[in-house]
Amino acid sequence: MPNKAMPNLHPVAPAAPVAPATAPRPVALELRDLTTVFPGDDGPVTVIDGVSLAVRAGGTLAVVGESGSGKSMTFLSALGLVAAPGRVRRGEVRIDGADILHQPPERLRRLRGAVISMIFQDPLTALNPVFTIGEQIVEVLRAHQRIGRAAARARAIELLARVQIPDPARRVDDYPHQLSGGQRQRVLIAMAIALSPKILIADEPTTALDVTVQAQILDLLADLQAETGMALVLITHDLGLVARYADDVAVMYAGRLVETGSMEEVFTKPRHPYTRALFRSIPRLDGPVDEELPAIEGQPPNVARLPPGCAFEPRCTVGRGRADCCTRRPLPLAGDRSGHRSACFHEDLPDRKEAIR
Amino acid sequence: MRYFRHPGFLIGVILLTLLLIVAVAAPWIAPMSPLETDLANTLAPPSAAHLLGTDQFGRDVLSRLIWGTRISLQVAVAVMALSLSLGMVIGAVAGFFGGWVERVTVSVIDILLAFPGFLLALALVAARGSSLESVIIAVALAFTPRVAAVMRAVVLTIKPRTYVEASRAIGMGTMRLLFLHVVPNSLPPVIVVATVSAATAILAEAGLSFLGLGVQPPAPTWGNVIADGQSFLASNPLISLSAGICIAVMVVALNLLGDGLRDTLDPQMRRSSGRVL
Amino acid sequence: MDRLLRQLSQLAITVFGIVTVTFFLVRMIPGDPAQYMLGDYATEEALATLRAQLGLDQPVYVQYGLYVLRAVTGDFGSSVVTGRPALEEILFSLPDSAILAFAGLAVAVAIGIPLGILTAERQGSWSDMLIMIVALFGISFPVFWLGLASVLLFSQELKWFPALGASSGGGFLTHLHHLVLPAGVLGISVAAYITRLTRSAMLEVLGQDCIRVARAMGVPERRVVWRLALKNALVPILAIVGVTFAWSLGSAILIEVVFSRPGIGSMILKAVSARDYQLVQAGVLVLAVAVVLVNSLLDLAYGLVDPRLSTR
Repeated sequence: MPNKAMPNLHPVAPAAPVAPATAPRPVALELRDLTTVFPGDDGPVTVIDGVSLAVRAGGTLAVVGESGSGKSMTFLSALGLVAAPGRVRRGEVRIDGADILHQPPERLRRLRGAVISMIFQDPLTALNPVFTIGEQIVEVLRAHQRIGRAAARARAIELLARVQIPDPARRVDDYPHQLSGGQRQRVLIAMAIALSPKILIADEPTTALDVTVQAQILDLLADLQAETGMALVLITHDLGLVARYADDVAVMYAGRLVETGSMEEVFTKPRHPYTRALFRSIPRLDGPVDEELPAIEGQPPNVARLPPGCAFEPRCTVGRGRADCCTRRPLPLAGDRSGHRSACFHEDLPDRKEAIR
Repeated sequence: MRYFRHPGFLIGVILLTLLLIVAVAAPWIAPMSPLETDLANTLAPPSAAHLLGTDQFGRDVLSRLIWGTRISLQVAVAVMALSLSLGMVIGAVAGFFGGWVERVTVSVIDILLAFPGFLLALALVAARGSSLESVIIAVALAFTPRVAAVMRAVVLTIKPRTYVEASRAIGMGTMRLLFLHVVPNSLPPVIVVATVSAATAILAEAGLSFLGLGVQPPAPTWGNVIADGQSFLASNPLISLSAGICIAVMVVALNLLGDGLRDTLDPQMRRSSGRVL
Repeated sequence: MDRLLRQLSQLAITVFGIVTVTFFLVRMIPGDPAQYMLGDYATEEALATLRAQLGLDQPVYVQYGLYVLRAVTGDFGSSVVTGRPALEEILFSLPDSAILAFAGLAVAVAIGIPLGILTAERQGSWSDMLIMIVALFGISFPVFWLGLASVLLFSQELKWFPALGASSGGGFLTHLHHLVLPAGVLGISVAAYITRLTRSAMLEVLGQDCIRVARAMGVPERRVVWRLALKNALVPILAIVGVTFAWSLGSAILIEVVFSRPGIGSMILKAVSARDYQLVQAGVLVLAVAVVLVNSLLDLAYGLVDPRLSTR
């Protein structure tokens, strides 16, 4: 495995101060060197390779990258939800400074849904078709609280009202198939925020929905965030959404981070050739909201057969064939004082030389 | 071959290979003739001459079991080939042509599926008289609607795929299309069903033989050996027990093969196969 | 209500199809029933009279029409051997078979479904592997062999249960005592099958998005499996039970023979060897209709389990 011998030198990428006037808020969720492997035909395949990230309370981190780049898997790993035979090989997931991964499954279970919640891409399949939406919300409440049936039901109706489902007292007894796609995603959000988690991970929450509904759902999430001060991780491949909602951005490629920084920094001064390729079609922040990732030449990488060096090298217009340093080993993130970091040899950064050595 | 990484599949292949060797080499490895009676030495306990003893006619049980491998394998292969070819054609035609052809075929299949498979085979054997051929035909016919149902379902999922559309667009004839694209692509799931049906065919043959409706005695089938031993269960349990174990070994081998193929070829199929008779 | 009507008409069509299939199936049995009834020395005249009486002198399509008409009124002809109406013979054997089949199915469901869920819950563990190996052998031994082996062990060696699967007299407990072995063997054989299929159905559900969501929300694993996933898997599990019902009727024939139990299986078998074609026909028909009825009931149950099917 490529990165085995080289521990990540810069495990923490502190979020750039978004509003310098206020004091920096505490880090709510921090991933350190998170690495996940799946058994493959020729030994374990590293699908998440040393990912280190941080989100501050009340802040929004957007994680972008092509599908298959490990965006979702990173956070499934963080929640201890990697399906067997995959497993987290190393790394830490810190909430309020304490690692949650290396503790009994029951304690991790109690954190999931209560302290850190996740909503998923496809609201059509994410709800259980044979239970009413009320029953499903109650199930979540009762998984974490000692609460009577009547009280739980009342709370479920409140939550439905909070996510702006019309006539919640009646809809609470509906089955998922009686609701529209947007309403289902609202129900899922209601479940996810039922216990006022500190962190909400939204895994492409609007990809399956049509454009007008997309904006409603994201505005709802933004409202809830403003109200509760929770940290939001927005996994998406929609750069328009990133520009509009994110404070910080993390770009992933082939299971590794290639660039992180504040949204302004990354959008105005993208450093990694992959990031630049991503942004090529939207040069301005006020570009169209529904801009999708432009196609990048070459094949998306197969994480089972990555080159020994930079994973992007075979498709890279900057480094391809120019420097053998690209093909020797992967480079850790490095950056300047603004917190903007990237993993490319072709940059003249103060701490780059040290990292290469 | 990724199949051979599946431990069950590997065991199944090894067992079946061994059984195939036994079946082919039966004349050389069987200690004596499976039909030769020795009325002076009936129901003998196991000895050096008769490792599993003799039956009520003094025939060597081990030799009968060795020769029985042949008949069971014959039944398995023949039933598989017959039900597979018939069922695939019927299912493919129904799924591919659609319209009233499909509606009629589907309702006939549904009706036939209502009959317990073993009962259907039993009635068919009764209709044709008992012989190896009629057992094979009866069990194969009882299986055909099941293969056809799977085949139709598979064809329905393949039909809208682009290569079928494309071939159609360049004017390929329907029959050509059917045999060039649809049949090869539907083979994996159908083969899984066929493996399971071969396993069940062996059980069905044994059941029919046990009822006296299968291959007629004195033919050395495993079902016949169990039936022979039934009356002497208390004194000579080895006769029936050993024959049953032979059946189980072959059926386990086929089921392992089927499970292995299913897990490797198509994890989605887990539910739709399984024992069908 | 619409659903019920649709299902009833579907049921009627299927039963009509079954009637048709059994008619032609049994016409294929060789031998002249008239000859059989009257013996080898019957005069040609007597044979002709009997054939006319049975309708055998008519063209096949007329026979078929008459057969369908009579079947509608519940007349399935009479046994060539005993002369009694076929329906009467069947109704006489039905209770014994029904008791065996349902007792066997109850055992199979009670063992197979929990084991299937348990193995899916612990996929890959030692207990999963062990149970699946036992289940593999369970579906691989012929059911009649399991019957013989259980007679050997439980009646001849241990003397716990009688080898005969039915008692002529005695009270309820005696009957039950005789039923334990045949129903147990049938049940265990079918349970192996149900275990395998239930495990597959559960594994499929456990891989679905909505289960991942429940886990992401911190719902305890026990509730995820035994409540959230199980209710989803209930429709396929009911379908499995439906398929197994046909299968256990087939096995019940063999079990009845092994344990010398009266029942429809034994009756059909006797009728086949006696070329009592009207009885075979009626017996096969009744068993097939039983399968269809049980499956229709299960179809109705799907609607109770899955709201998507009932509110449409």
